[in-house]
Amino acid sequence: MQAMILFGVLVSTYLMVIAKRTPALIRSFRYQSFCLFLATLIIALQEHELDLYIIAGLLFVLKVVLIPYFLNRIIKRIKANENLGLLINPQLSLLWALGFTYLSWVFTRHFLAAAQLAGGSILAIAFFVVFAGIFLMIFRMTALAQIIGLLIMENGLFLVASAVSGGMPFFVEIAIFFDVFVSVLIMGFFVYRINKLFTHIDVNKLSRLKG
Amino acid sequence: MEKINFNLLFDPLSLFFLGVIFIVCLPSAIYSIGYLKGEYSRAKIALAWILLLIFVLSMGLVVVVSNVLVFLVFWEIMSLVSYFLVVFDDKNEKSIQAGLIYIVMTHIGTAFLIAAFMIMYKSANSFDFLSIKNACQLMDGQTKNIVFLLLLVGFGTKAGIVPLHIWLPAAHPQAPSHISSIMSGVMIKTAIYGIIRFVIFILGVHSAWWGILVLILAVISCLVGVVYALMEHDLKRLLAYHSVENIGIILLGVGLAMFFLSLNMPYLSIFSLIAGLYHLVNHAIFKGLLFLCAGSVYKATGTRDMEKLGGLIKKMPQTALFFLIGAMAISALPPLNGFVSEWLTLQAFFLGAIKVSGAAKLFLAVCAAMLALTSGLAAACFVKAFGITFLAQPRSSFALNAKEVGFSMRLGMFILSTLTVVFGLAAVFVVRLLAKVCGCATGIDLNGMSFSLNNFILNPQPGTSAYLSPLMLTLTLVVLGGAGFVLYRIFNRKATIYNTWDCGYYKLGGRNEYTATAFSKPFRIAFSFFLLPYRKTQKIRESFYHVKSFAYETHTTPIFKKYIYDPTLDWVFKSAKFMRKIQPGSIHLYISYIFVALLLLIVFMQRF
Repeated sequence: MQAMILFGVLVSTYLMVIAKRTPALIRSFRYQSFCLFLATLIIALQEHELDLYIIAGLLFVLKVVLIPYFLNRIIKRIKANENLGLLINPQLSLLWALGFTYLSWVFTRHFLAAAQLAGGSILAIAFFVVFAGIFLMIFRMTALAQIIGLLIMENGLFLVASAVSGGMPFFVEIAIFFDVFVSVLIMGFFVYRINKLFTHIDVNKLSRLKG
Repeated sequence: MEKINFNLLFDPLSLFFLGVIFIVCLPSAIYSIGYLKGEYSRAKIALAWILLLIFVLSMGLVVVVSNVLVFLVFWEIMSLVSYFLVVFDDKNEKSIQAGLIYIVMTHIGTAFLIAAFMIMYKSANSFDFLSIKNACQLMDGQTKNIVFLLLLVGFGTKAGIVPLHIWLPAAHPQAPSHISSIMSGVMIKTAIYGIIRFVIFILGVHSAWWGILVLILAVISCLVGVVYALMEHDLKRLLAYHSVENIGIILLGVGLAMFFLSLNMPYLSIFSLIAGLYHLVNHAIFKGLLFLCAGSVYKATGTRDMEKLGGLIKKMPQTALFFLIGAMAISALPPLNGFVSEWLTLQAFFLGAIKVSGAAKLFLAVCAAMLALTSGLAAACFVKAFGITFLAQPRSSFALNAKEVGFSMRLGMFILSTLTVVFGLAAVFVVRLLAKVCGCATGIDLNGMSFSLNNFILNPQPGTSAYLSPLMLTLTLVVLGGAGFVLYRIFNRKATIYNTWDCGYYKLGGRNEYTATAFSKPFRIAFSFFLLPYRKTQKIRESFYHVKSFAYETHTTPIFKKYIYDPTLDWVFKSAKFMRKIQPGSIHLYISYIFVALLLLIVFMQRF
C-alpha cells in the first residue's frame, strides 16, 4: 500500500515537471498532496494517534482543498495567460527530473546505512520532490510557478521528516501548515498586485526593477 | 556552552574609569540643558536625553563588566548610540557622511576585537575575564602576538590612533557639543581601558616590541594630530585633532609601561602607567571643557569657522575665561593639570632612558623629544585658537552679535574648569590614587614604592633631584605675577590708550586682522613635506590691465585619506562592481544559485 502511495507521489511530481499550463500544475499538486494525506491517514489508522489524525485532516483541508482552490481563484481573477512560460521544454524537463531522481537515490545510498536501505526509497523520493520544487522555481517564468514550487518543496520536506524521524513534532507540524497557508495567501496577494501593476506575472521581466 | 555571567567587576581600574566617565558626563549633561534649548524641537530634545542616558550607561557598563561577550555587547551599544548622536543633526549632509565614516570604521575595529576574543575564548573555553587571564599565561608566544595585534587595531580604531584616526575629526565635531565633549573626553578612553584591561591585565605583556610598537604609534599620533590641528580652522575639528594628539600622549605612558613590564622594571612601569592614566583623566576634563566652550561659541555665533569669529572676549567674557583655562591646560602650562601629567610622562622617559641600555636609550630620548615638540606645537595651536576666536575685533556679523550663553551652560563649563585647576594642584593625591589603579592593572606589589616626598611634593625617583610641587609653583607664580604687576603700575603711571598704528590708513577693520591661516603659515611651510600644501588661484580679468576679481585658496593634502583610504575604497567599489555581474536581477538565477549552493554542500558533506 505504502509503495503504491509513494509511486503516486513520484508520478504526480513527474506530471508537475512536464506540465505546460498552470491549472495542470495545480491539479498535479493536488494529487501529490492527496497521496501524502493518504499516507498519513494510513499511519494514523495503524497507530491510533490523535495527533496524526489532526495532521492528516489539516493536510487534506489545506493542501488538497484550500490552497489549490485559492490558487485557481487567483488565476481566474487576474485573467493571466495560463501558460507557465517554460524555460526548458517538457521533454528536457523530464530528462532533468529523471537525472534528479537518480541523484537523490545515490545521495540516499550514501546517507543511509546498508541495513536501512530497504526503507530508503521514501527518503530518495522525498529528496527528489524537493529538487523538483526548486527545479520548477528556476525554470518556470510566472510567479505562480514559484509559489507552487515552494509548496512542492514543502511537501518534499514533509516526506523527508516522516522518512527520517517519523514526522516532526506535532506543534511544529501544525505551525508549518499555517505558515504555508498564510504564505500562500500573502504571495497570492502579491501576484495579484504585481499583475495589476505590470499587467503580467512574468518574473523574468522583474529584472527591470533593478537599479 | 557555558552560562554567561553578568557579574560586574569593581576593581580599582574599573572604578577609575567609572570616575572619569562621571566627572565628564555630569557637567556635560548640565550643559546640555541650555545647549539644546532653542536648537531643536521638544521631541528631539527628549530623544537627545534618552540617547545621552543610554550612551553614558553603556560606557559605564563597558568598563565594569567581567565577561568578554557582555563587554562586546555593551561596546557595540556604545558605538551605535554614539553613531545616532553623530547623525543627530539629520538635516546636515555632513553629519550623515561623518556618521557613515564613523560607523564603518568602528565596525572594522569591532571585527578585529571579535577575532581577538575568539582566539582568547578558544584557549580558555570561557568568556570570563579571570579564566581567560589564567588561560593566557599558558598561551604560546606566537598566538599572544597575534591577539595583541588584533586588540591593538581593534581598540586603536576606537581610540583614534594614526592612521586609524580618520573618523575622529569627521565625527566628533558633527555631534551636538555636549556629546562631542563626552565622545572626545570619555568614549575614546574606553579604548585605552580596553588596551590596559586586555593587553596588560589579561594577556600580559609578552615581549618588548609590543611596547615599542605602541610607543611608535603614539609618537606618530601625537605629531600628526597636532600638525593637522594647527592647519584646522574649524574650532571643533581643531579640538578633535587634538584628541588624536592627546590619545598619543596617553599611549606614550601606556606603551612605556608595557615596555618596562617586558623588561621587568616594576617601579618604572607603574610610574609610566600613572603618567598615562593621569593624562587620561586630565585630557577627559580639559577636552570636555574645551568642547563645551566651542559649543558655547557655536551657540552664540552660529558658526565654528574661526576666520569668522574674533573679539568674543568682550561679548562672552566667562566663556573666554573657561576656554583660556582649558587652552592653558592642554598646552601644559603650569600649574594646571595638563602640565603635571606631561611632566610626569617626560620624567618617565628620562628615568627610563637612564635605566635602560643600548639602542633603547636613544629611542626613549627621541620619544621624549617628540613629546616636547608636540607640547610646543599644541601651545602654538591654542594661541591661534584662543587669539583668533576671542581676541581682536569681530571678523563678521556672526561674532558681532554674540551674547554670553545661559546659566546651565556656564555652570557645566565652570565645573570642568574648576576640576582642571584642582587636578593640577592636588597632583600628589591623584598620583597616590592612580598608583593603586596601576598596581591593580599590572599586578605589581606596590609596597615600598613611593612617588612623593610628603603630601605636597612629587618626587618620581627618590634620590634624584626631580621634584614638583604644583602648590608651591602656583604660589611662586602668583607672587611673581603680583610683584610684576605692582612694579608695572609703579613705573608706568601714565598710560596712553590710542588706536593701533596703521601706517596712515585710518580704516583698520575686521578684514585687516591677522587670520588663522596666516598664523599657521610658518608651520605649513615647516611641515610642508608632510602636509603637501597647494594653492588654487583664479583671476577674472576685464582686460590685461584690469583684474576684476581674484580668488586665492590654499589647501593641504590629506595624505592618509589620499594614499590609504581612497585606494582601499576604490578597490572595494571595483570589486563590488565586479560582483554586480552575478546579480542581473533574475529571480530564476538567484534561486538556481541557492540550488547550486545546496548541491555543492551535499557534495561537500558526502564527497560523492
